[in-house]
Amino acid sequence: MNNKYKILVVEDEKNIQTLVSALLETEGYSVISAYNLAEADMLFVSHRPDLIILDLGMPDGDGIVFLKKLRKTTAVPLIVLSARNSESDKVDALDAGANDYVTKPFSSAEFLARIRSALRSVRLSETGRLPHATFNVDDLKIDYESRRIFIANAEIRLTQTEYNIVAFLAQNAGKMMTYQGIIKAIWGYPDGGGIKKLQVNMANIRKKFGIKPGEESYIVNELGVGYRMKGLEE
Amino acid sequence: MKKSSVIKNILLTALVLTCAFGTAILMQNVFGVKQIVAAVFVFAVFIVSFITDKYVYGIVSAFVSVLAVNWAFTFPYFAFSFGMTENIVSAVVMIIIALFTSMLVTKVKYTEDLKRENEKERMRANLLRAVSHDLRTPLTTIYGATSMLLDSGDAIDKEKQIEILKGIKEDADWLNRIVENLLSVTRISEGKVKIIKTPTVLDELVDSVIVRFKKRYPHVNITVQIPDEIVVIPMDALLISQVLVNILENAVHHAKGMTELRFCVEVDENKAYFSIIDNGCGIEKDRLLNLFDGYGGEKDNSNDNRKRNAGIGLSVCASIIKAHGGFICAENQREGGAKFTFDLEREKGQYE
Repeated sequence: MNNKYKILVVEDEKNIQTLVSALLETEGYSVISAYNLAEADMLFVSHRPDLIILDLGMPDGDGIVFLKKLRKTTAVPLIVLSARNSESDKVDALDAGANDYVTKPFSSAEFLARIRSALRSVRLSETGRLPHATFNVDDLKIDYESRRIFIANAEIRLTQTEYNIVAFLAQNAGKMMTYQGIIKAIWGYPDGGGIKKLQVNMANIRKKFGIKPGEESYIVNELGVGYRMKGLEE
Repeated sequence: MKKSSVIKNILLTALVLTCAFGTAILMQNVFGVKQIVAAVFVFAVFIVSFITDKYVYGIVSAFVSVLAVNWAFTFPYFAFSFGMTENIVSAVVMIIIALFTSMLVTKVKYTEDLKRENEKERMRANLLRAVSHDLRTPLTTIYGATSMLLDSGDAIDKEKQIEILKGIKEDADWLNRIVENLLSVTRISEGKVKIIKTPTVLDELVDSVIVRFKKRYPHVNITVQIPDEIVVIPMDALLISQVLVNILENAVHHAKGMTELRFCVEVDENKAYFSIIDNGCGIEKDRLLNLFDGYGGEKDNSNDNRKRNAGIGLSVCASIIKAHGGFICAENQREGGAKFTFDLEREKGQYE
């Protein structure tokens, strides 16, 4: 019982709060409910949850503000659950430090997969990734030391840039990385024309991986927002 | 933006008046026809009123014209003289003519704008009416089914319960799709003048759309054919995704007997051509005509209300493609099944 993950659900809509809590409890998580940001603040300090589900439109303020404040002191994984579905809303939340963004209405299976993925990203950083470690998801393997990538034990030849992108996403597995976030990490500067360059690289990576557009891939493509390397348990 | 349009209007006015002045000089000095000089200027004022946005330009040119005629084309030449009754009368007449033309033209323009605005308003009202009807149908099922389960859930056997719940889920899905389409519509009308296009790599667009589609309809057999080269298309990616999803879903829901759905993109130097082809029952001839204008299902007398939604989804597609400067059309194929095609301008250049 003690090693149950504790999840703080910040949501003012009672029906959704009930639904999410029921869903999480059946999956064996322990749930703490907050109906406004003030409550969320208090409950976070007293319970130290392992993950936060945050609705953006709260009665006592904007969830983004809460998220930014939270990120000053903690890296606890946080998934935004919102009815706002424009690219800019997603990018804002992700750049403010959200691990992932789920739009309402959501499918329960997908939602739970994102939660597992976000929780796993913490476990990785808790165990302290060694610089020599390798990354494995399904049959994709990245050897960080030799900078080589294998799929089903066959080596995939990528350019420097392509490798850097894949490795960067792998190091942040389970977390949705925005276009600008990736571009800044790979090319070192935010650049307007860079999104196109990034998309071209991603299209080439997918080709080299032997994956056709539309086929399930290791890298989730959220058009207009960014990319996310799948976590192990998806 | 505003400043540049003022400068543009002033330049146009100056240009037209200079031309008029030139023509008038030519008439008077080369051809010796003096009588039509005033007419030339009245015509110039008319043109100015017609091509500029506000009627202050027309009126200013009327005054300038009067001065020009007085100065250069009436006795005494190349000097102002308002002393002669003849000149004063001709000046007054000219200003009046100019004022009237200019007001008339402005009024015509205004009526045209009003007409266009009315047309838009009417379309919006139609859409709204169709939508509220379409919202009510699934809501009825959801409301009725949930109250039934709450009131007498125990009396219904497990199998039946699951069937009812599935119906609720399906209708909720349906509502969600209508809302997605409505959001797209507001996105277009919010950006009134132009939508914001970002260069998007075709592979990435197709990947995200097909993944989304396969998640919703894992049982549908869909094949994808896109060019090997990297193709970049400037677009509002979310809206174009919506178009593709709408057409694909339309096939799933309406192409009866479909066993294969094909999604192809072909390119030439300037454009990318998207086509979605099914081998289902095709589209009825009388629906084909107004498939994209929002009332595609109105004539449909079968009691399957779902058909009406095709109209909304496709009319949204049409407005999105139109806003991108492309063209969308639907046709039946000779060998059976429907084919939807649209084109988008591609960005030129090589990408490595």
